[in-house]
Amino acid sequence: MARRRRALTQKGRDDDVRIIAGFALGSILTVIMLMVVIIAPPATIGPSEGELAPDFIADAYNGANWEKFKLSDSFDYEWEEGNEGEWILVQFIDTDCPYCWTEGETMSSLYSEWSNSVEFITVTVELSITNHNSDRAEVEAFRDKTSYGTEDNDGDGCNSGRNDCINRPGTVHNWNYIEGSSSIMKSWEVTGTPFLALLKPDGYVAWNQYENPGENIEEAMQRIVGGAQ
Amino acid sequence: MIESLTDPILIIFIIALTLSAYLMLINNEKKTTMLLISSLSFSIIGIASSAYTYIIHNKMVLQGSTSFCSSEGIVQCGSVIGDPQWNNLFGIPWGVFGILSFSILIFFSLCLYLDRHAKWSEDYLNYAWWAGIAGLPFVALLVVIELTQVEGAPHICPFCTVAHVSLIGYVSSIYFLRIRRNMGKWSENEG
Repeated sequence: MARRRRALTQKGRDDDVRIIAGFALGSILTVIMLMVVIIAPPATIGPSEGELAPDFIADAYNGANWEKFKLSDSFDYEWEEGNEGEWILVQFIDTDCPYCWTEGETMSSLYSEWSNSVEFITVTVELSITNHNSDRAEVEAFRDKTSYGTEDNDGDGCNSGRNDCINRPGTVHNWNYIEGSSSIMKSWEVTGTPFLALLKPDGYVAWNQYENPGENIEEAMQRIVGGAQ
Repeated sequence: MIESLTDPILIIFIIALTLSAYLMLINNEKKTTMLLISSLSFSIIGIASSAYTYIIHNKMVLQGSTSFCSSEGIVQCGSVIGDPQWNNLFGIPWGVFGILSFSILIFFSLCLYLDRHAKWSEDYLNYAWWAGIAGLPFVALLVVIELTQVEGAPHICPFCTVAHVSLIGYVSSIYFLRIRRNMGKWSENEG
């Protein structure tokens, strides 16, 4: 009789097993995190110097058509400091930004000097400013220096619609122009354009414009990559 | 595809899932205990597979590839976990989300397993149910991403699928446990 009553009104244990469960869970998590750290520690990803550059995948215009482009496909993971390798110059622009318009010439000049040892990549973004409209046609015209818009300040064309894209300073940019996005800008912590960063061949950031206000890109490339042709 | 499916780690996960499903479906006089063990087992497989995908993620980021999972064919992890656009949520890898989510589920199941007659047991059973249900839309989203969004879609990431099946198994176990509780069969000697 007493046994049946005990069965019908079963009580929980006197000790609070939630503490035991918490400790058990803590142990499981500790083992898991130790395994992760030992087998494959997480990388420090970001645009700051010494960090692994944030990867992205987006459509890229190569002068003929738009194709998928993944930044990390350009990384040479086997590269070691001191060895030869292809460095990567990442530029963020808005085709309607006046500073990006004038930087077109600098980029052409850099390309003519370092195209053998540096891969050039331009990421186009659209800043939230009136008359800024970087559609694909404008991006193609900006890169290829083809006619798009007018020379009147009518909002039509590059440089906030002040110029026909054919008149962009510099030569044709014979490298990939990536269709950027706000998420790429965010991961690269880009607050304005133009923005430049130089990556080592293995994808780690070697130079970030924001961290070197006293050094321009030519000086940085000469110092870091060296050997301008 | 065959290469991906013969991965020894994957085979271990599949065997563990099968055993957990067996515990969930077996009918004996210790049904409640079996279901509690099953839910615990599913959540442990879930956390282990999430951790494994996180390891693959880190390897992919640091080395561009990994020997831990194939990068060729439809059934592979490379194009899924290696896709920078879809392999994270607000910058946090999905594997980390999996580890944290399954931690919560393990905690509920472990508490229930250790003391199913505690005052809080009914609440915890409900919490486990709703926490499991909350994860299902994410599973659906990730399957859609695998099949339609990642580079070269469709792809199926086998280790991600293990985590997804674990969650579905967990929710099923908790569903059967709730039924037993509602039918007054919570104690073994009442079932």
